Parts: sequence; C-alpha cells; structure tokens
Amino acid sequence: MNMNDDQQSHPNPAGAGIPMQAPRQEMEYLCADCNAKNEIRAREPIRCRECGHRIMYKRRTKRMVQFEAR
Amino acid sequence: MDGSQDNSWGDTGSTWRGLGLTDPIKTVEDKWLLLPAFLKVKGLVKQHIDSFNYFVDVDIKNVVKANNKITSDVDPRFWLKYTDINIGFPDRNEVETIDKRVTPHECRLRDITYAAPIIVTVQYTRGKKIVQRNVNIGRLPIMLRSNKCVLTGKDEKELARMIECPLDPGGYFVVKGTEKVILVQEQLSKNRIIVETDSVKGIVQASCTSSTHGGLKSKTYVATKKGKIYLRHNSIHEDVPIVIALKALGIQSDKEILLLTAGNTEAYKVAFSANLEDAAKLGIFTRHQALEWIGSRVKVNRRVMGPRRPAWEEALEALATIVLAHVPVKGLDFRSKAIFVATMTRRVLMAMDDEKMVDDRDYVGNKRLELAGQLLALLFEDLFKTYNSNLKTAIDKTLKKPSRVNEYDAWHTMQFQGDHITSGFVRAISTGNWSLKRFKMERAGVTHVLSRLSFISALGMMTRISSQFEKTRKVSGPRALQPSQWGMLCPSDTPEGEACGLVKNLALMTHITTDVDEEPIIRIAYMLGVEDISLSTGAEIYSQNTFIVNVNGTIIGLTKHPRRFVLQFRKLRRARRVSEFVSVYINHHHKAVHIASDGGRICRPIIIVEDGRPQVTSEHILQLKRGELAFDDFLRKGVVEYLDVNEENDAYIALYESDIVATTTHLEIEPFTLLGAVAGLIPYPHHNQSPRNTYQCAMGKQAIGAIGYNQLNRIDTLLYLSVYPQQPMVKTKSIELVGYDRLPAGQNATVAVMSYSGYDIEDALILNKASLDRGYGRCQVLRKNATLIRKYPNGTYDRLADAPFDENGQKAKKYDIIQEDGLAGVGERVDPGDVFINKQSPTNANDNSFTGQAATVPYKNTPMTYKSPVAGNIDKVMISDTDNDQTLIKVLIRQTRRPELGDKFSSRHGQKGVCGLIVNQEDMPFNDQGINPADTIMNPHGFPSRMTVGKMIELLAGKAGVLNGKLQYGTAFGGSKVEDMSRILIENGFSYSGKDMLTSGITGEPLEAYVYFGPIYYQKLSELEFRDDDVSAANQTLEHMVMDKMHARARGPRATLTRQPTEGRSREGGLRLGEMERDCLIGYGATQLLLERLMISSDKFEVNACQDCGLMGYNGWCTYCKSSKKVAQLTIPYAAKLLFQELMAMNVVPRLILDDA
Repeated sequence: MNMNDDQQSHPNPAGAGIPMQAPRQEMEYLCADCNAKNEIRAREPIRCRECGHRIMYKRRTKRMVQFEAR
Repeated sequence: MDGSQDNSWGDTGSTWRGLGLTDPIKTVEDKWLLLPAFLKVKGLVKQHIDSFNYFVDVDIKNVVKANNKITSDVDPRFWLKYTDINIGFPDRNEVETIDKRVTPHECRLRDITYAAPIIVTVQYTRGKKIVQRNVNIGRLPIMLRSNKCVLTGKDEKELARMIECPLDPGGYFVVKGTEKVILVQEQLSKNRIIVETDSVKGIVQASCTSSTHGGLKSKTYVATKKGKIYLRHNSIHEDVPIVIALKALGIQSDKEILLLTAGNTEAYKVAFSANLEDAAKLGIFTRHQALEWIGSRVKVNRRVMGPRRPAWEEALEALATIVLAHVPVKGLDFRSKAIFVATMTRRVLMAMDDEKMVDDRDYVGNKRLELAGQLLALLFEDLFKTYNSNLKTAIDKTLKKPSRVNEYDAWHTMQFQGDHITSGFVRAISTGNWSLKRFKMERAGVTHVLSRLSFISALGMMTRISSQFEKTRKVSGPRALQPSQWGMLCPSDTPEGEACGLVKNLALMTHITTDVDEEPIIRIAYMLGVEDISLSTGAEIYSQNTFIVNVNGTIIGLTKHPRRFVLQFRKLRRARRVSEFVSVYINHHHKAVHIASDGGRICRPIIIVEDGRPQVTSEHILQLKRGELAFDDFLRKGVVEYLDVNEENDAYIALYESDIVATTTHLEIEPFTLLGAVAGLIPYPHHNQSPRNTYQCAMGKQAIGAIGYNQLNRIDTLLYLSVYPQQPMVKTKSIELVGYDRLPAGQNATVAVMSYSGYDIEDALILNKASLDRGYGRCQVLRKNATLIRKYPNGTYDRLADAPFDENGQKAKKYDIIQEDGLAGVGERVDPGDVFINKQSPTNANDNSFTGQAATVPYKNTPMTYKSPVAGNIDKVMISDTDNDQTLIKVLIRQTRRPELGDKFSSRHGQKGVCGLIVNQEDMPFNDQGINPADTIMNPHGFPSRMTVGKMIELLAGKAGVLNGKLQYGTAFGGSKVEDMSRILIENGFSYSGKDMLTSGITGEPLEAYVYFGPIYYQKLSELEFRDDDVSAANQTLEHMVMDKMHARARGPRATLTRQPTEGRSREGGLRLGEMERDCLIGYGATQLLLERLMISSDKFEVNACQDCGLMGYNGWCTYCKSSKKVAQLTIPYAAKLLFQELMAMNVVPRLILDDA
C-alpha cells in the first residue's frame, strides 16, 4: 500500500551507496476469498479485481526467517 | 437394545408377550440418545436463537401493528399505514457490490456490523390515490445461527467455505467487529401475585407487577398496615382501604365484599371485618362515593387540553388502565379486576392467618428469564416510535409548505429519515446500555463481549444467567441452591465471590419458552367445562371443592373437577392441540389451577409414564438410532413432554426406570443432564466434593486449547491457542455432545502422585523437561494490533511510509522488517521496539480551517511499535475497508510459549497448581520396563483435604484406557466402573490398584512405596480474570502466565505531574515502597535508606528557598523579598514542591523554615 506519494518526510537517498533492491515494484496482496493477486493503491477502496471481496492479506516475506527451536 | 432380546418379542407362548414370569423387566436402554436428538433442535444456546427468531418472525410484527398509523396534523386527508414488516438477510451496506451476501467472519475481520435490512410495507395517500411501497427503514443486527443468519442450515463443508466453525454455538451478535452476547436476565415473574411477610414490621403484602404488551409496567400492592388492609399503587397518593377499592371496582355490598375476600372461613372474616368498619367510618357506602374518594387522590398527569374531569372519572380511568393493567377491563366491566383484587386480599388474609402461606421469591417457578428477543423488541418499539414521530414531523413540515409543484410523496421523506434505528441498535448492543425513557427502563451492562479464551468459555457465556436484583445485599436466599432448580439450572456452575449464586448457568436440557397466544387456551379451558368467573360470587369461588382456573395469572373461571380438567388439558397438549410449552398444574394450597403460556419460563423435556410404563420404548430408540425419528416426533407421539418448574411440582418423576411405582407420572431422560455444559466436562463429578466441581467450572473457562475450527483465520485482540491439544482419555457424554472432544483444551499428562524434592509443596507441580521438549503444555499467543489509515474531514489523510534511511543510507534496526508498503513482512520476527506499521499522520489533521493541498502538508510519525519484552512473529497482515471507507490494517503477532516455572496448571477437579520445578527426564522416576512414566508429578497432600475422589478414578480409568487403547467414560452418575478398570489393569500386567513400583531417577533405588500413576487430563490456565460488570474487560485482564506477569525496573518513565515513577507493569512502573515498608524503616532507624528510597531514587528536586520569608524562589532569587541574600538551595521531593504550590493556589502559604542539619 504505497501511500508515501514521492514526498517522504525523510528524503530517500536513492542509490546513495546502499544495496538497494531492484526498483520498487508494486506490493502484491492476496484476496482473502479467491486468493487472486491484487495491488492496492493509495486511497482507493480495497477490493479484489476478480471477486470484489473486501479483505486482503499481505503475502509472506521472501526473506529467510529463522526460528529458535526451543 | 441388543437384537437378541428384541427377537423375543415374536415368539409368544403361554407367557405374556413372550416373556416368562421370571424374566427381567426390560428397560429402555440408551434413552439418553434423546439428549443428542434434543440438542439438535433445542437446548444450550437455542433459547437465545428461538427468542430472537420469535422477535423477528412474530413480535416485531406485533410492535408494528401496535404503532401502525401516522397521520398529519396539517393535512387531515393524509395518512400512512404500516401493513407489514420483514427482516431480510444480512448483506453489505454498499451500493456497488454485486454479491451482497456477507458472512459473520467478514464482519469480524472488517469491524462492521452483521446486520440485515428492516423492510416495511407502507400504504399511504399520494394525492387522491393510495399507494403501497416497500421501504428500508434501518438495519437490525442479526443473531448468528438464527433464522435470518446465513449460517443456518449449512453443513460442515459450507460452513468451512464461509470460514465458520461448525461447533460454534451462535446466539451472539457481531457489532462493529466484536462479538456481543445479550446475557439471559433473571426476573421475578410478571402478572403473578407474590405474597410476602416482613416479620419484623409485621407486614403482610401481596404484590403484582403488571406488564402488558406495549411495555407499561406498574406494581400494585395489597398490604396490611396496623392490622388493616390497603391497596397501594404508585399512581395513587394515599393507601386505599381495601373495601373502598373494591367498592370502586363495582362490588358495593359489604356482604359480597366479605364473601369475595374472606369467603366462609371464620378466621378470615374476623380478620377482615375491621376493614368494612373502616369504610363505613369514612362514610363510603356506594360505588360513586368510593370513586370520588380515590379520584381525589389519583396522581393526574393531564395534558393541557380539555376541561378538568370530575374526580370519579379520574378514578375510573386509573383503575381501568393503570392499576393491575394486565387484567382486561372490557367496556366498564370491572368484575374480573375486582375479583383479582379480592384474590390478592384473600391471599393476604391467608398469610396473616398462617405464615406458611407466603410465596418463595427464590422459587424458580416464580421466575422468568428475559432473553435477547424481548430486550430487542423493547428497544425496537422505542426506536420505531421515535422514528415515527420524526417521520410525522418531517411530513408535517413538507405538507405545511403552501405551494408544492408535485403531489406529495411520503416515500421520499422516508428515504431521508437517517439511520436512527440502525444506529440505535448498534449503540445499544455495543455499549450494553438499554436506556428507554419511554418504558422507564435504564439498564447498563446488558451485553457483554463474548469471551473467546477457550471454546468452553464462549459456550459457558451463552448459558449464563445474570440476576437483575440485589447484588450487594447480604441475604443468602437468592444465592442458595434451590431444590426447584433441579434439572433446570446447573448446581455447580456459579462463580465464587460476590456474584456467587446470583450468576447461574442453564443445565443441559433446559429450554426457555417464548410467548404463546393465550386466546385459544382460554377457549379450550371453557370448552373443558370451566365456568366463567364473572358469573360467580365468593360463595361459589371459595366453596369446598371449587378450584380457581388462572391463565397467565389472570382468573378466568372455576372448576369443580380440577384433576380431570388438568388431565384433559394435558391430553390435548400431548395431542399437540395446544403448544407443547403451555404448562398446567394444580396448586392445592391456593386451590387453583394455573395455566401458563407466557415467555421466559424454564422447562425441560421428560419422558411420560403411563400405567407404570414409560411411553418411550426400545422400539422408539431403535428408530431414533436409525434416524427415522427426530426429537419432535417424540413430542408429537406424546411420549415426551416439556414440563416447566411449576408443572414439575405436580408430577411424580422417577429418576431411573427401576424406581417407577404406580403413582409415577414421568421418567427422567438422563440424570446427568442436571449439570450444565461446563460442569459436564468433569469426569466422575459425583465422586467429588461439590465445591471442587464449582472451582473446575470457573477454571475450565480459562483453559488454553482450541477455540474453533476457524481459530487461525480469526484476528482476535488476544487469542491463546494450545499447540497440541488432546481430547481427554476419560470423556463424558456431555463432552461429546458439546463438542469438547473436537475442540479440547488440555492434554493427557501422565501424573505420578508422589512427593519429589521440596518444590512440590502447596500444590506445586513438577514437570518433566523432556515432555516440555516434546510439546507438552506449549501454547501460542496471538495478539491483534489494529490501526486505521484515516482520511480526515479537512481533506488530509494518514499514509504508510517506507522505512527511513539514516545518513549512512542504512535502515535503522527498528525498521528492519518494514517493507516498501510501510508494513512489516509477514513471517518476520519482531523484536521489542520494532516498528511494524510505519504510519504517518498529517500534523494538522484536526484543523478544519485547512483548505490547502492535502499532499503538501507536513507529516509526523505515528508508528505502531512492538511492546512485549519477548520477540514474536508477524502472523498475518490484513488490509480492508471499514463501513465508512477508512482503511483498516490489522497485524496479528504470534508468540510461542513453552511452560516455565510459575505457570499455572489444573486438572478437571478444581485442583490447580503452579509449576514448581522442571526436572530433566533422567532424574524422573522410571519403572521396571525402563519406561519413564511421568510428565507431571503431583504431591499426594493435595488429596486428603480436597476429597477429589473423581480425580483418582479418572487416573485409574485413564490408565486402563491407555492400556487397552480405548477411551473411558466418566459421565456423571455413571461412567466406567472402577472394578472394570482394575480388571483391565490386571490383564495388562499392572497392579489392580493403579499403584506400581517405580525407581527413583535421582538415587537409582526403588522407591519405598508403590506410586499411583496414570494419565489425568491437565489444562494449562491463562487465568484471564474477566470481570462481568466491566465494560472495558480487555483492560482489566490479568494474566497468570509468568511471562505476562514478569516485571522489574531500575530506571524508567515518570508521571508528568509528580515526577514520581509510574505505577503498574503496563507502564513499566516502579515497585512501590509503601507506607508499611516505610514504617519498618523508620522503626529500624535506617534514615539514609529512607531518604534514598523516598526522595533520591524517586522525585528529588532542587529548589531555592528564602530563609527570610520561607517561600520558594528561583535561580537564587526570592521574588517575594526581591533579594538574593538569604536564598539557599535545598533538595526536596518534587511532590512536596507541588503541594506547596497547590496550597498557594488555594491561598494558603506554606513557609519553609530552614535550619542547618
């Protein structure tokens, strides 16, 4: 949900020596009803393109998550 | 029934029906199967649902019918009439969507209300024509699993598709995303005479609370005062001497009055005579005189218009409409009301003569339970009336306008009536405040948040009954166990402490009636030979063999053959000519037959016995098993019937079939149904000391386990889940019926009852570390974190921001898990202090004068950060819109918890204990097979004083079950027998007693005693202390898991006002050195320690004080003396400085007198 329309409170030093990920692509969200991939735009109602359902879940992170086996 | 016995029916011979004289009498086995059949159609939460259905299908139409016409004061030709009202199915309140159906689960997630449109059909005049149209006037929150709910009649698969749990009881509402229950309310019954005495003041009084449809409620008393009897009512200033009241009601002659009240009983006549004298002394002989007397004492709340009416007319109106409003007065025929008052008087006379003739307020038959439907009906009537008056004013307003282009269409006005009804319902249910001025009703705390700590806590809440009156009074009567609550209310399930005995729970088989129309019942009564009351005088009414027939507390007639009448009436009911919920019984004390058809009576089904034989036969049960019969068929066949508490008193009910004698009229379906759903979890409760069962009822609700099949899809504020829940080894039939075996909350721990180290004293438990490694007692805590991305009225809006970078181009650690959308990645670990919603809000959000570009406004950070001291993982991030198009974000964070020292556990017998020590497996005792049996070691001292024999039998039955691979039963008043269990143990090479030889894991020597060990079902408790009467229940919660209690502080936040450390764990507060501790230090003389604790480590503050004037200055300057000469610096507590300043603000001067120490 990109609501930070270009004017961020903290200036974003793009390409300032940090390993930036590939140019931002839109985040994907899954419809809670039909599991279709959706994008969410700022200040637009949240609604599935496929089925019109109003609930979205964020997809799981692509980063590795390590659990402590206890 | 087994087949071999059944076949013997066929071969007849010289014997009767194939049975010889010595053959055992056949009993109806498995008659308990009626219980699951019953639970399918009624029971547990069905009363809520039935009540709601009754409201939606019947009562709401009555309400509309009673308020169905709107006319205009402006245009006399205009009228608007409601002809019908219907409730639709819950839908989305949005225009655009195609699929309007909405599931309760969606409402829970999106924080919206599960509500359906209320559609009325109206007829009204438009110009010269009459038009009929349907109008949506608002939305009604829908009870889950009611007629109007999308979940009703769905099978498990369909429910799964809607993400709903098939075991969820329903019966609650979803309002603004929270689940709300309207608890059952207990009240004294309406329209019935209750006689009480006050032995101290020597008062006898009969009171009757009248309640009619339309909500008018008033209480009328007939009471003694100085030996004479008076009629008392709120609307009359003065107590009316009873003879005057009766004369005003049309019984003029003293003889008739005497006959109607005292009858022919000499003692009553003597007691009553003074009253007759009294009236004569006051000079009142005729009806008119009596009416004049009363009329001058009636409270008149007149409207301004119209001339003053004469006093006797006022009296007539008051007597007809306000006093005993429920007794009908047709025309001006006061006969039945007069007889009612006379009956009240007679009851007073009877109680004066014999103290035993008073009624028992605590008797369950004198109580009525008020359910969601009734409360909603009242609320709806209030809202509907307001709606109508608003509509009328709006119509009048438009009609008043002189020139109209088109002819007036009221439909348009109705479209713009706002959401008065919708918001009224939502407000009432979500706050629990039922304040209906119109009906003089002001009740708070009617609704509660459905507790979802465990499946059982939710179920237990649905069966809960809260009492309306006397919470603080120290009388024991209302709290005590009532014999009449047998089978109706659970004897075990009640809280401890202040609400003990006042909050009750329904038993397994109870049902609460809804209203049944009394008109046909009265007709049937007359048909069965009841003589109309208005044709008789006292002589007949109180003659030897006459019984008065009452319908819902109103006298309708007399009968000479009460027994025959009652029997015939019951026959009609069993033939289903009358509703099965109509009860009829004889009260021999009052010589009366009572027929009751009002709602709120508690009743339960019982098998009918005729001629010493239960009407339910094995044949029936067989058919039931095959699914050919349902519970309703048993009612239809007249073999089972509902009895309410009063009718139960008129029946002779055998507990077991073998107890049936010639006079038996009924047979209990199954004795264990006298317990409720929560007490039904206890195995062998009949072997326990009764308070232990009560304790378990409280603890069963805190057990961590499975909550519902949809538990992982729910996003609750706080959810405790067990990782490996197990169904108990020792089950009960109630467990299976309720579904606890499918949603269990606990694990079968092998418990060794022995002493181990010293860490098991005072109920502490020893846990096996290896068991914990394998997952015993492991649970997950899911916590909701929600926020709204708001749009503000001035055009600005919140936004989600990417993680900020510092000057090195690095993300700060706390923003590590934030992804490009400003939300934490799902699955990521959240450490304390991490940001998981990087929200930013405009700085001028509340500035409504702002008109600039929304995009240009400065923003401030308003992130959500993770507070818990232990790391968790992001389980779910949900994004949706609420009702008013604000974006809603819910982040679910999960922690996994392993049992640790101090965690609380409990068996199902009210035996709780904390974990005292976690022992390595190698140090635990083991047996000759090398098996290390114990997950838990429990100290045997827990048994002697508690007398929880049920727990010992559970262990034995559990052990036997483990050995032969079967689940055992511990059903109340039955269950697996100890003898059988011992036999199984022997067969498997164990001791019959359950005690076996173990070897110590520490010394390696055999233990000196045999150890009683086996599986006992243990629950892990979250102990969320839920206060019933608290609105903000979530804040009041206090958990007893160590992690939730652990707290320490060296330095930390301070309160702004006093600069002292904050209080409480949640605010990372300090640990108070209180008054008593201070006293100790003073006594010891540790002055420096005192100084440090009370000032230096708390709120020390440097002040400048003037030695001259004693006032405080600043920067070495005294503003009072205008000098810096004598100013000294000293350290005092900030709170002291604050006190001085506050005193000065109140014009009190505190002066410091300084001295060298």
